[in-house]
Formats: sequence, C-alpha cells, structure tokens
Amino acid sequence: MVLSRKAKEAIKTALAMTITYGIALSMDWDRPYWAGFAVAFVSLASIGQSINRAALRMFGTLLAVVVSLTLIALFAQERWAFMLFLSVCAGFCAYMMSGSKHGYFWQVCGFVTVIICMDAGPDPVNAFDTAVLRAQQTGLGILVYSLVAIFLWPSKSITAFRAAATDLAATQHQFYRACLGVACGQGNAEEARRVSAQELQHKTRFDQLLDAAETDSYEVREWRRPWRRYQQQAAELMHTLERWRESFAGVQGLDLQRLLPDLGTFGAELDARLAQIGTMLAGTAPGQVPRPVDLPLDRDALRELSHFQQAALAVTRSRLLHLERLTRSLFETVSELGGSGTASAPAEAPHVPAAVFLPDLDRLAKVMRFMAILWMAWLALIYINDLPGGPGLLAFAGGLGMAIANMPQLPVSKLFVPAASSVLFAAVVYIFIMPQLSSFIGLGLLIFAATFAICYLFAEPRQMLGRALGLAMFVTIASISNQQTYNFLSVANTAMMFPLIFLILAITAYIPWSPRPERAFLRLLGRYFRSSAYLMSAMRWNPPHAVTRLERWKKGFHTREVATLPAKLRSWQPHLDNWVLSDNSPEQVQALVTSLQTMAYRMQHLLEERGTPQAELLVQELLDDFRAWRLGVQGSFQQLAQDPAVGERDALRTRLDGFLEHMEARIKATLNKAAEGEFSDRDAENFYRLLDAYRGVSEALVEYAANAAGIDWAPWREERFA
Amino acid sequence: MLTPLPHEFAIGGVYLPPMLVASVFGLLAAVLTSGFLNRQRLSQYFFYPPLVSLALMVIYTVLIGTFIIGA
Repeated sequence: MVLSRKAKEAIKTALAMTITYGIALSMDWDRPYWAGFAVAFVSLASIGQSINRAALRMFGTLLAVVVSLTLIALFAQERWAFMLFLSVCAGFCAYMMSGSKHGYFWQVCGFVTVIICMDAGPDPVNAFDTAVLRAQQTGLGILVYSLVAIFLWPSKSITAFRAAATDLAATQHQFYRACLGVACGQGNAEEARRVSAQELQHKTRFDQLLDAAETDSYEVREWRRPWRRYQQQAAELMHTLERWRESFAGVQGLDLQRLLPDLGTFGAELDARLAQIGTMLAGTAPGQVPRPVDLPLDRDALRELSHFQQAALAVTRSRLLHLERLTRSLFETVSELGGSGTASAPAEAPHVPAAVFLPDLDRLAKVMRFMAILWMAWLALIYINDLPGGPGLLAFAGGLGMAIANMPQLPVSKLFVPAASSVLFAAVVYIFIMPQLSSFIGLGLLIFAATFAICYLFAEPRQMLGRALGLAMFVTIASISNQQTYNFLSVANTAMMFPLIFLILAITAYIPWSPRPERAFLRLLGRYFRSSAYLMSAMRWNPPHAVTRLERWKKGFHTREVATLPAKLRSWQPHLDNWVLSDNSPEQVQALVTSLQTMAYRMQHLLEERGTPQAELLVQELLDDFRAWRLGVQGSFQQLAQDPAVGERDALRTRLDGFLEHMEARIKATLNKAAEGEFSDRDAENFYRLLDAYRGVSEALVEYAANAAGIDWAPWREERFA
Repeated sequence: MLTPLPHEFAIGGVYLPPMLVASVFGLLAAVLTSGFLNRQRLSQYFFYPPLVSLALMVIYTVLIGTFIIGA
C-alpha cells in the first residue's frame, strides 16, 4: 500500500509526539505537554523547513527564558511595573514578528516570555526551575521531531528548490518576452500582467525553499553565496521588468525599430541570455556566452518626436540598458553555480542607505492591539475573583493574541467553530477515554491516534488554524503527566476561558477602528493619498533651503508608505464580502489596486529623477510651470485622501492634455533660447527622464480616477453589523 | 406578573449558573437580530453598530434571564 504525502506527514508528527511524551514521562519531567507543543508547532513540509522553524523556536525560547527571569528578578514585588515591562517586551517582539525575516523567532520569544512570567511570576522561588523546564521540554520536542523527520521518509527540499529556480527563470524569460512584445506593439498587455503575477508567486516560493534547501542540502549550502546573489539579482530583474512594463504607455505608437535601429539584435541577445540561464539552472551547459550589445539612438528620427515622446523613449532605453547589465550579471552568477563559469567576482553591493527607524503604522497597530489584549486579561485577572484559568488565561491570551493580532484580516467569529470543536474533541478524549487507560502502551496509542487524526484531517495550509488549535487543545486539556488526575473542572475552566478571550479579542478588534475589510481598505487608501500628497509637496525646488533631519525622516516614511500600501491593499481585497461588491466585480477592485501600484512605481521613479542634477537654464525657465504642475497633482492627492472617489477622469484627462501641450511649447521656447553648448546630452537625458516621470504620475492619476469612477462606493461607507 | 424563580441548570450532574445560560441565549438572539438587520439593510441607520450589538446582547440577556429562565 502506498501512503499519501499527508498520511506520511501525519504519521511523522504523531510518532514524534508519542516518543516525546514517552521520554518526558519516563524521565519524570513535569509538564510534558510543553514538549508536545514543540512537536505540534515545528512540523512542516520538508526537513529543512522544519529544522529552520525548530531552530527559531529553540532560540526564541532561550531568549524568552533570559527576558522572563530578568523581569521576575527585577519586579517580583511590583506587579504593575512587572506587567508594564512584560507588555513592553512582548510588544517589541510583536512589532519585530511581522517585519522580520525571522518572524517566528520573535513570535516564540514574545509569547513564551508571557507564559513563563505568568507561570513563574506568582511563584518566584521556583521561577528558575520553571523557565529551565520550559527550555528543556522545548528542546526535547524539537530534537525528537527532527530525528523522526530525518530518518522516517525524509523529504529534502533540493528537488523542489531546483524546480522552483527553473520555474522562476522560465517565468522571468516569459515575462521579458511578453514585455518586449508589448513594447514593440505586437504583444498582449493582459498576458504580460498575468505572467507578472505568476512571476511573483514563483519568486516567493523560491525564497522560501532557498532557506529550507540551505539547511537540508549540502550542495545548496556549499554554494549559498552565489545562490543568495542569484536571489538578489532575480529580485532586481523582477523589479526592473515591472517598471519597464509600467513605462510602455509613453512609447505606445512610436516606431521603436526606427528610433532604436539595433533593438532587434539587442532584444534577441537578452532573450538568448535569459533562455541560457534557464537551461543552466536545469543542469545543461550554456551554448554561448553573452555578447556585448548596445542600443544607439537614430538622432534624425529622434528630432521628429515631441519632447514628451523623447522623454518616454529615454526612459525605455535606460531601462533596457539596465536590463542588459542585469542579465549579464545573472548569467555570470548562474554560470558559477553550474561550475562552468569563470566569473566569480561578486556582484556590486547595493547601496544601503543609513539605517533610520521608520515605523510601520500597521505593525504598530498590531502591537497596540496585542498590548491591549494583554492588559485587559491582566486587569481581569487582578480585579475579577475566581477567573477561569487564573494566570493561565493571560498566558493563553498572550499566545493566541500574538497570532491573531498578526492576522487583522481574520474575523474573530471565524475562530468560534475551530475552538469549540477542538475543546469538545479534547474533552471527549479526556473524560471518556483516558480514564480507561492503565499503561503507556494504551496512552501512547491514544496520543498517536489523536495526533494523527488532527494532522491528517487538517493537512492543507489553509487549515493551519484548525490544526494548531486542535493539537493545542488536545495537549492542554489532556494534561498528561505521571500523576494523572481527572477533573471535569479543568475541562470546564479551559472551555470558559474561550468566551473571555474571544470577548477581549472582539473588543480590541473594534476599538478604535472597525475591522471590516472595506473600512480598512478605505483607511489605507486615505493613507496612500496623504503620503503621496506629502511627497509631492516635498519635491519643491524653490526656495532653496537645507533639508532638515526631520524632513528627511518624513520623506523616508512617506516613500515607504507609498511603496508598501498597494501590497497591503491587495491583502485585504479577497476579504471584501459580497455586500460591498454587490454592484462591483472583484476585477474592478483588482484594477483599482493595480493602478495604485503603477502610481507607486511612478512616484518612486519621480523621486529618483527629482534627485538627478538638472541644467540651470531649464530649472530657471520652467520652474513656475513645474511648480504649477506639482501643486495641481498635490491638490488632487489631497482631495483623494478625503474621498477616494472624488477624482473625475475626464476633467483630469483634459487638464493633463492641456498641460502637456503647454509644457511642449514652453520647452521648445526655452531650448530655442539656449546658447550652443549650454545644454549637454547628459542634461538632455536627465531632463527628459524627469519630464517623463512627471507625466507618468499624472497618467497614473488619470488611470486611477477612471477605475475609481467605475466603483459604487456607497456600500463601502454604509454602517452595518459585523 | 410572576417571574420564574432563579435556579441552576443541571446537565449530567454539572450545575450551570442561570446567568450563563441566559447570556448564551442572549448572545444567540443578538447575533440573529444583527443578521436580520444586515439582510434588510437596516443597519445603516445606526451610528455605531458594534455598540448596538453589545446593547442588544445585554437587553436580550436581561429579558431572557428575567422572564424565561429566572436569573
């Protein structure tokens, strides 16, 4: 009989759980369920992923031991100071959890600190033993699961990793072809958009598997530096291709073959390089090495274009030249990985700006919610007599609160059924089956069967919550120990903790802001346009003044807001319910988010180009025109921040067309005034790129207004019960 | 009008306080009422529906506790 993948994984977790309990009970360690928790939460699809998670859990627990013992030592007699510092430490972990590469480490550190403090705080004499016991039990669970995962049906990540790398290279090649086709007027923009979404998925998968493959595959670990370089270069290629695609609107209708006579050869060379990269990643030696190519302009044809067309062409050309450099570096890196290349020179280190703390408002909101959960549970514990669970309520609220605060899209009501069924299942096992057992053979079989059933029935990634709650409740309510007792009150108390915790979760979800997806969407839209308006206001040229540190910080903050908010909006989009979408389709909302992403790219482009040196003559002559343009766009952003539906596409289009015409005439007049040699090629290129950046932002604004006009916003603002 | 005498509920030998039972029914009734108001698009006439939900739950709990269960 051939077992399915999910059956094998369930057997591995169940076996590890049984062995862990067997060892902990035979050693007569107190609270063996802590080891059971470790097994339940580190099991993942491959050895590498599980070991990485296990390491993060272990290190997180060790740090939590140090933090909690320090807090107990410092504030054993000061309950308010104790809680204040505990909530600050846990809040810091909650902040780090959602933005760090090692989020699980911070999550474990945060909730284990709360658990140890609540367990050992009321009994400071035994605090050290309790903390060490927690670390010991966690270590046991991790060790046993790791050994089981290594020896029983080992599932290494290398095969999946190689497939992910090949898929990523193939998608990037496909995306490049689609983009080149669109640029030359032969492709399909919709196809390019589809491949772009696919590329993002493949890149995410590649990143996840690289971490795992580095841990469980020697061949990847040995070459980890080139692989990391490849990861970085592939990310940059993805970003550049995306920005190149966004710049096509300006060159639509231009005869690129005439303006860039070598475009065919250039495009074919890049195509060949990307194809070779895919072939090399699949294990075949490259057929040819990259040839040097250039992309000269036809000056005569160029003179026939308007200034805005020249600007758009300059941007497209510079993107293509950047792609040329990138594909060459990628080729060299992949050659090194395949062992056939000679290029071992490291890629140029990216410029890292000085580290300045830029707070993320959404992460701060999560921290505030988590800290509010902790404080409400703490106040309930202090002021309500005989609270079900006692300090355990706070420990439970800490663990659950940390996970829930990190998933603001998940409504609290979605937890009712999994929590109730988990408690019911564990209660049946505890009350009706466990009292019949008299030896570890029976108990071991029960642990194996219960764990297997939960892991098998909730094997899909989307069922993670059910699986986690099921295992957690089984381990907690069963409370297996050598001096086993059976008491209905322990089940009732655990069950009664849930209504209290859900009440706290619901209160913190609704105060101060509504958790409804459409409300969150509108809030994020408002923030997006407020930040955009600030960035436009920060681009002024005149009067010249020194930029203060605060202004630099604010600019950095708003730049990050504009760059990250479209992705946050996308994460809320699937949660919009039918009520809101009754008169709209999800595709309309998708198009709206895409137009915001386009605008974010163009704002970024404008900020970059705004920093390039410009010819003094142009700055002086066109200053007022650019200012008027900037203020117009800034005003539109400010209006949209108040009401995202206020933009009128036709009015904006007419205004933009009028402005383009006006600027065209002004630029022509200014250039005619310029003396010979006053305006170099470099000045021209910088100026055209800046001009294209301004036009790009305005075009994106018009596109947004067109999408927003198609949406019926009335239901989005309507009050209703959650 | 006579109201029921306060008494505990025994389920399989486990005694439950009457207020707990009343609050469970109160919550259920509030959820059903909110769902009905949502479906009829009447919820738009309330200033802050989450507070209304809470108020409904309290009102139902008190009414059920006083007149049906006896809490």
